[in-house]
Amino acid sequence: MLLNSVSKITDHYLLRNLRSSLRLYLSDRLTVAFLLGFLFVLFLALFGPYIAPYQPDKIFFVEGGGVLELQPPSLAHPLGTTSRGQDVFSRLLYGARPTLFTGLLGGALVVTIGVLIGVTAGYFGGRVDDILMRVTDFAFGIPLIPTAIVLAAYFGVGTWTTILIIGCLLWRNNARVFRSQVLQIREREHVRAAQMLGASDRYIITRHILPNLGGMIVLFFSLGTGLTIIISASLAFIGFADLGIPSWGLMLRNAYNSGYIASAWWWSLTSGFAISLTVLCIFMLGRGYERVHETNVSEFGG
Amino acid sequence: MSRLYYYARRMVVSILLIFAIATFLFFSFRLMPGDYATLLLQQGASAEQVEAVREAWGLDEPLYIQYFTWMGNMMTGNAGMSRQFSKPVVDVVAPALRNSMILALPGVLAAFVIGSLYGALLGSNPGSTLEKYGIIPPNIVGTTPDFFIGILLIAIFSMSLNLFPSGSIASIEVVTNNPGWEIYLTESFWYHYTLPFLTVVIKYMYYPTLVMRGSVVEVRNQEFAVYQRLLGLGKWTRFRHIMKHASLPVITVLPAVTATSISGLVLIEIVFNWPGIGQLLLTSVFARDTPVIQFMFLLIAIWIVVGNFLVDIFYTIIDPRITIEGE
Repeated sequence: MLLNSVSKITDHYLLRNLRSSLRLYLSDRLTVAFLLGFLFVLFLALFGPYIAPYQPDKIFFVEGGGVLELQPPSLAHPLGTTSRGQDVFSRLLYGARPTLFTGLLGGALVVTIGVLIGVTAGYFGGRVDDILMRVTDFAFGIPLIPTAIVLAAYFGVGTWTTILIIGCLLWRNNARVFRSQVLQIREREHVRAAQMLGASDRYIITRHILPNLGGMIVLFFSLGTGLTIIISASLAFIGFADLGIPSWGLMLRNAYNSGYIASAWWWSLTSGFAISLTVLCIFMLGRGYERVHETNVSEFGG
Repeated sequence: MSRLYYYARRMVVSILLIFAIATFLFFSFRLMPGDYATLLLQQGASAEQVEAVREAWGLDEPLYIQYFTWMGNMMTGNAGMSRQFSKPVVDVVAPALRNSMILALPGVLAAFVIGSLYGALLGSNPGSTLEKYGIIPPNIVGTTPDFFIGILLIAIFSMSLNLFPSGSIASIEVVTNNPGWEIYLTESFWYHYTLPFLTVVIKYMYYPTLVMRGSVVEVRNQEFAVYQRLLGLGKWTRFRHIMKHASLPVITVLPAVTATSISGLVLIEIVFNWPGIGQLLLTSVFARDTPVIQFMFLLIAIWIVVGNFLVDIFYTIIDPRITIEGE
């Protein structure tokens, strides 16, 4: 009885799909490497503060009383210290959480808006489509970084404002691609059949349209996440961020402003490469998933 | 639907779009919290002084009258006065725009030429070690924030090797002696130009590289290419024929990338202290210099909309298969 119900669950078609696509997904060695990289960053984001040897804001002093500034890597400070005498390694570990979570939330917001607009426009067509696509055209006329700067300056800075601003600016590309996908899916025979049988729009969208967009949604979620990390780091770099949260973008800003980019490489370069490699892993995971689903998008970015 | 009708329609839509964006700009800046008068108040001006300023600038008139005045002024090329520099907005924005363009346009063009050639090189050697590992650098560059590329170049070529200056457009005396475009002819300018230019090239190179690689792989297997290989044509002749077909997807994105590049260099300009529109935007935002910000946004939007319009026309010319009825 119990065994029967367990096998019923493990045989559920969604789980079967998940298992088979996961097997296909992991058949590529490079994708596995990127997955491990991403899991590592996720691990840092979740547990970094517990592993970190010191508090990110703790200032170290030399015995004479001065600040222990710009120390090269040593056993006590694996990645050296900043110009303010803070431990770079601890700041790096603490920085994973705000950086990654801003990215993931921003990516989720971007995809949600993109799917809502794209699916509505593509499925209902006609006047709704016209209006939504004109709005999208309009959104393409908005310059990304300048608008983000102005909005951040006028509405104040903070993690949530940053996520909202980026979400409201990046959806435009997704909306167009999702719309064109829905236009194709809508014409397929099983959708036509469901319509003929009198299925409601809601049923068709949730059962037939959205599952077919799956690979695309994952791809755009990963692209959105990566782009959000880059843009929020850019905003942090010019000072539009909560200066109390030690994100990687803010670390880069501090290092750049201190003027010791070259001499204190353990400080300036680690945070930059951390951003770069994290985004690389996320982009490549999306690409890998897309390959499994055999959908094709030749362009990414906003 | 004739082709001419299509062009005319696209043109009307583009003009309407510019008007819509201008309207949106006007009202959104009015609705944003913290206008210039409030900033004056925070800086210690008395309520009467603020009231006088509001009156002098016509900020006490009804919004719709302000809107029509603004639109009329914009259409006659009068963008008002900059509040931080006390100069006409046009005189403030023009040199900044010029500095941004001289960085962005040659940079993007060079990036596309170098990137396509590199991508073609990777694509014509499928399965080789070069193809397998050569694709990694452009991917890493594509996921690196552009300001970090700039920081890396400064750390290497400016601070460690002392080859190039780390910022600004030219040395101080050259800047003060050459207020106009003559500055682009000085040696000091090109010396300062190298690193930001390299950053732009690296930032925009990954995209043509990736697209070109895929495109060349695809074209190489088309019948005409296989036939030419069987004919025993020389390597370079075949390469030329393949490039002709394979470069189409790269060429089609070039105008769009150029259109967005002007406003996409904000961070690079800030890292290199380059006096372009990115720098100007930042100082104007901090000074709440709304006329300057509005005018810059309008220019950027017009640039993008006109760019898109030209791209659409360009598409119908280079690829006649694009059906106009579908629009």
